[in-house]
Amino acid sequence: MSRQPQSNGALFAGYKPLSDAYDEVFDSKAKPRPDCAGVVRMFDEIGKAEFRARQKIADHTFRKGGITFSVYADSKGVEKIFPFDLIPRTVPPKDWKHMQAGMAQRVRALNLFLADVYGDQRILAEGKIPRWLFEQSRGFIPEMRGVKPRFGVYVHVAGIDVIRQPDGELVVLEDNIRTPSGVSYVLANRMVMKRVYPTVFAEARVAPVDEYPMRLREALVATSPVQHAETHAVVLTPGAHNSAYFEHSFLARMMGCELVEGQDLFVHQDRVYVKTTRGPQRVDVIYKRIDDAFLDPEVFRKDSLLGVPGLVRAYAKGNVTLANAIGNGVGDDKAIYPFVPEMIRFYLSEEPILKQVETFICANEKELDHTLANIGKLVTKSVDESGGYGMVLGPAANKKQLADQAAKIKANPRGYIAQPLVELSTCPTWVGEKAAPRRVDYRPFIVTGKSSWVLPGGLTRVALTDGSYVVNSSQGGGSKDTWILEDAAR
Amino acid sequence: MISRVAGNCFWMHRYVERVENTARMLQVNGAFVLDVQLPDVQRWRPFLIVAGEEPRFNELFGAKKAQDGEVVQEYLTWDERCSSSILTSLRWARENARTIRETISLEMWESLNEAWLWMKEGSARKLYLRDRHTFYNRVKDICLLFNGICHNTILNAEPFDFMRLGMLLERAGQTARILDVKYHTFGREQAADETAGEVAQWLALLRSCAAFDPFLKLSRPLSGPSVAGFLILEDAFPRSVMHCLTRAGEFLERIDQGSHLSGERRALAKLNALIGYVKPLTIGKFLERGLHAELTRIIDATADVCGAVHADFFDPVFEGLGRGQTQTQTQSQTQTQGENAA
Repeated sequence: MSRQPQSNGALFAGYKPLSDAYDEVFDSKAKPRPDCAGVVRMFDEIGKAEFRARQKIADHTFRKGGITFSVYADSKGVEKIFPFDLIPRTVPPKDWKHMQAGMAQRVRALNLFLADVYGDQRILAEGKIPRWLFEQSRGFIPEMRGVKPRFGVYVHVAGIDVIRQPDGELVVLEDNIRTPSGVSYVLANRMVMKRVYPTVFAEARVAPVDEYPMRLREALVATSPVQHAETHAVVLTPGAHNSAYFEHSFLARMMGCELVEGQDLFVHQDRVYVKTTRGPQRVDVIYKRIDDAFLDPEVFRKDSLLGVPGLVRAYAKGNVTLANAIGNGVGDDKAIYPFVPEMIRFYLSEEPILKQVETFICANEKELDHTLANIGKLVTKSVDESGGYGMVLGPAANKKQLADQAAKIKANPRGYIAQPLVELSTCPTWVGEKAAPRRVDYRPFIVTGKSSWVLPGGLTRVALTDGSYVVNSSQGGGSKDTWILEDAAR
Repeated sequence: MISRVAGNCFWMHRYVERVENTARMLQVNGAFVLDVQLPDVQRWRPFLIVAGEEPRFNELFGAKKAQDGEVVQEYLTWDERCSSSILTSLRWARENARTIRETISLEMWESLNEAWLWMKEGSARKLYLRDRHTFYNRVKDICLLFNGICHNTILNAEPFDFMRLGMLLERAGQTARILDVKYHTFGREQAADETAGEVAQWLALLRSCAAFDPFLKLSRPLSGPSVAGFLILEDAFPRSVMHCLTRAGEFLERIDQGSHLSGERRALAKLNALIGYVKPLTIGKFLERGLHAELTRIIDATADVCGAVHADFFDPVFEGLGRGQTQTQTQSQTQTQGENAA
């Protein structure tokens, strides 16, 4: 291991926050924020040379553990490590409490929204959301109307992306309530951090995250159609070539569940069975990590080999719990997102705790015109894609990219929304020789069974390239451990 | 357990066993050919034959290249076009393990993953070029370590039984194949008038099966019949054909008894028939019938048992309950290559 002796200085020496963004750790005068001062001191003491050495240990741990995602969906698929930055993102107790309450509120409202739109559709009848806009959502699955999931739980697992504006306000950027991914990295990152920084952990008061699999399992069992003790819960994966396969297998192992593929399951007389060496066994709860479109070739895509014929029938009969429910896509449609504050008021009679980003719905003619006229300044996004796909950042795009995106939007206005580019907050990030500000977002995870639980931690993704706003793992993003600092007063 | 996962358990350990045997054979032969005067074509070609790789090798390199030990070793060690090369087998061992990480222990996965990374990332290649003996030792160590981890970190339950079953059936077939190298080297059945080279090869074959010391401990005369007898019939030796088949039978019986599958199962009957055939035979009888023919029979029958295990447990039909779609996976196609090798 080659160390460069001249650079064994304090880790954050010379760190300069950007002038136009909020920095999570340092204030505008480059002084550590009060809640972060302890952590800054501990990392400064480690020094640059030692930090580099530990980064190598961390990288090795990820590689040895095969904690990877695949880039291509074939058997030659390249497995990559999700780049990991050893400087944690810290969340002060006050911010955390605010977010925790805001998340729980939001998930409650989204869940009631789904129950409503797959039931009486009161919110449409009362004109809070335009019916035409709603009905054109590709995420709405009419076949699911009248199908009531156990205890009305649609959103067993939610990942709600939050960003921080330059004024310090934490706002919701998007909701992920179909199959939010990333929680395995939260747990793996923490495991590695503990291994690499045992002394720092002993001193810093960081909320533990390792409860997650147990909480998820509890939520799955709590919504089972059969007695809890008899519940057979499985995790359903598209298979080893899926980019999130590590996560599927990790969660199955940590929950003590079997990991199944579509080919392992079959439906007989509207009941779901898994093929075992000792004969067929009933399955009661499926934590599904397959998109709805591939779930059941009898109902959705006929060409799907990943799914299970008859699964939807079994689900509609109430013989199996699917987590998350089928049809959640309408709830995280980005053109429906502007109405979430309205949902909160409508269903909960509360004011939204968390604000969200101003959004132009291209399906509205005026907003479409505004979007097209300002496409170079705005962020335009496809309403139902994730992973940064279908997204164009106006200020960073070239003419051709803008023209292509404009053409797509014109051809299918309902499929797109636009938002102003938010100056995402930054966090000190190791960039080879020193720590420099890089933009971050944040995805907390909310698990809902009998009640909701917000994981005290979450996935912080970081845009590793200087000046970049794109944090997606598929597009050059990395991740950080997220430390929810415990209240020193407690 | 889930049928597909049972298949992954079976194949994962089978591939690890294949890696170990291939490494042993190549290592021992590297030393053997230095000691014995043999025509070039007899030095390495037998290994291509017993691995079932000769046609593919000839197609890729031409038959003449089988005389070139470097090319043959390279092919059987590194070539991913070779379905039983060390690298290919290790890839599939790891790939099977990756598919069932929730079933195996973390240590099992990490040991295979680390081995795979070592093979892929250059340092293994350097060692291969600089010190081949140590390289093959490292490969063997990987497999022995995996074996030990497997024995000590998971429940002695069904997944374990399928792993052992796969490993033992593979080993039985491999030992039979290694013995058959002798026939392919000298082109004749065992004879009374053995040359010094033939005797040296018996020694080499013993080493290929890690059987040299165990054989000597039983203080038998070093001759073709006693070596062949030891490697086929000696129940106390963990790599003998008989030992592997009998132990495999015990695991299969345990699996079979736990099963409530309604369809007819054939694997256990087939394995018992094979055991019943081999057990009463003496080495004299084997030689009388022709060792090569008898070894081929064992190898084919073992492959047949594997096929029946697949049909019985990995892709079962549930009578009266219908079944999910049956999919052919490229992986299982690759998995079964090399099955009827001899």
